[in-house]
Amino acid sequence: MNSVSPSAVQYVGGVMQDELVESRRQQPQQQQPLERQGSFGLRLPQNDASREAAGEPDEMDKLKAKLMSAWNNVKYGWTVKSKTSFNKNSPVIVLGHSYLLNSEDEVERFRLAFVSRIWLTYRREFPQLEGSTWTTDCGWGCMLRSGQMLLAQGLLVHLMPRDWVWPDAQQLTDVDFEVFRPRSPARAAGVPIPSFGSTRAPNTPEKSHSQAPRTSQKKRAESVKDRQAEPVHYKLLTWFGDQPPAPFGIHQLVEIGKGSGKKAGDWYGPSIVAHILRKAMAKTSVIQNLAVYVAQDCTVYKEDVARLCDMSPSQSPADPASLGWKSVIILVPVRLGGESLNPSYIECVKNILKLDCCIGIIGGKPKHSLYFVGFQDEQLLYLDPHYCQPVVDVSQANFSLESFHCSSPKKMPFNRMDPSCTVGFYAKNKKDFESLCSAVSMALASSKEKYPIFTFVEGQSQDYGLEGHSSNHSSPPAHILPPARPGLSSNRRSSDEFVFL
Amino acid sequence: MPPFEKSQLQSIPFKQRKSFVTRKQEVAGIRAKFPNKVPVIIERYEREKYLPPLDKTKFLVPHELTMTQFVTIIRNRMALLPSQAFYLLINSSGLASMSLTMAQVYNDHQDDDGFLYMTYASQEMFGHG
Repeated sequence: MNSVSPSAVQYVGGVMQDELVESRRQQPQQQQPLERQGSFGLRLPQNDASREAAGEPDEMDKLKAKLMSAWNNVKYGWTVKSKTSFNKNSPVIVLGHSYLLNSEDEVERFRLAFVSRIWLTYRREFPQLEGSTWTTDCGWGCMLRSGQMLLAQGLLVHLMPRDWVWPDAQQLTDVDFEVFRPRSPARAAGVPIPSFGSTRAPNTPEKSHSQAPRTSQKKRAESVKDRQAEPVHYKLLTWFGDQPPAPFGIHQLVEIGKGSGKKAGDWYGPSIVAHILRKAMAKTSVIQNLAVYVAQDCTVYKEDVARLCDMSPSQSPADPASLGWKSVIILVPVRLGGESLNPSYIECVKNILKLDCCIGIIGGKPKHSLYFVGFQDEQLLYLDPHYCQPVVDVSQANFSLESFHCSSPKKMPFNRMDPSCTVGFYAKNKKDFESLCSAVSMALASSKEKYPIFTFVEGQSQDYGLEGHSSNHSSPPAHILPPARPGLSSNRRSSDEFVFL
Repeated sequence: MPPFEKSQLQSIPFKQRKSFVTRKQEVAGIRAKFPNKVPVIIERYEREKYLPPLDKTKFLVPHELTMTQFVTIIRNRMALLPSQAFYLLINSSGLASMSLTMAQVYNDHQDDDGFLYMTYASQEMFGHG
């Protein structure tokens, strides 16, 4: 079994399964050769309910929708071709965890780690966004989707059992595990494992194959715990539903973005999205004991974080350790270079992704937003929102979870990373936050650039502003020349003069 | 908005507008007069689409001013909101820690001509279509 088009694979898990075979006949030519080789149908027996739910719309509409979706997925850069190759000889990092893919156990752990992440993509046919005619975010909402994925990861860490994995995680698709450029032939030959994940025959019952026979008691206990957390998993996803009331859904985020001068159909940046997420969290009551902090000018002001997290009703400073602390998601918008990523920051980005407290990075390739969750060697591992899926009605009981998890991990080289991004962290409590500060500071010190990409400082942002400067400085700000005088002719000469600060 | 003539003038980078010798002389002159201040050139990133152009390029900045204070001054000049993305890149590539003083940054990164060069940029927007 060889390559499978991701679109086919994802549809298998999705709500339009009954249309799969038909749609494949109608897809553009470049996808046709894949038809014979596909391993789709993996989960056929499980989806009877959703198949019925899909109903039977008019044939023409169906055809139109299918052609549109095929076209969109080509247009929005979803890579139809190529598998992702993983090196068996060097660890792949996923959000602070390391996996060396040279044994079946490790591949299994990697699969669960990757597929359990929440994947939010473009959707179509959702209720119209207020004040616009948009019923889809295909083509413009990718950064909002990446932001949702980052927040969803924060919520998973916040709400789910430690190291939770989704018990129904799909098998990996479109992956190869290879021995890259073996330095020592002996070692290469000593790794007899074939490629996993994609070797499963179609229709093999999901669990039997991958579950190692020597599953320990502990592991079983954990999967019971993970299974029990399923209702929370569902609940969490409803908060990201594409419906106006969902607190972190596209409707809310676009609405909040209006305050920053954005509207439906606009492109968003990682910094704006960070602020939108902060406001969305502040606005909602579905989750009380979690706050979002956004760093200002590459600086995390620890006292500002403390104030945000302090749940004591009075602002009295009496023994803050004994008082309740909210958990916090810390978002740091940065720009790691001018036109392209400054290569000296690559090591630093890697070190951040190795941290347990890191919940990922939203950024992308130029113009193409991605949610980075890890790396291997010189390549970033990501979840891609550029896949246009039909809306899922999350208000239905037992809606299908499959379109919210991605089974095909993708990689891209660090040097194609756009320098604009927002880094995310999570701290459960005050102590956690303190260790976060030191762990992150240490990771940041690894940059080959002289200065770290951002810093943690004591105190509040207002302590560091201009007030402090002008009060104990000899020359008052009156020295600043008035900006842009109306007299244009005199301006040319003065534009070459120094401005005294 | 700046007049056409001026904006055209400003789109040419400072380094290309003046020869190395002229720039060096300029620094020598101003440093002699104001030994407690450092000469800084601030220019807009050439592909910047969201931040306004700055009316001035050359700044003379007190040694002890921190990067935070400096950024605040520039932000105020552009009337930016605190939540608007604004980054000062040293030599168009690296970020400076906000707690550093201008003297520290100057010592580490001044150009051969004696100026400290900074580029300001917001963030890129992402979308596809």
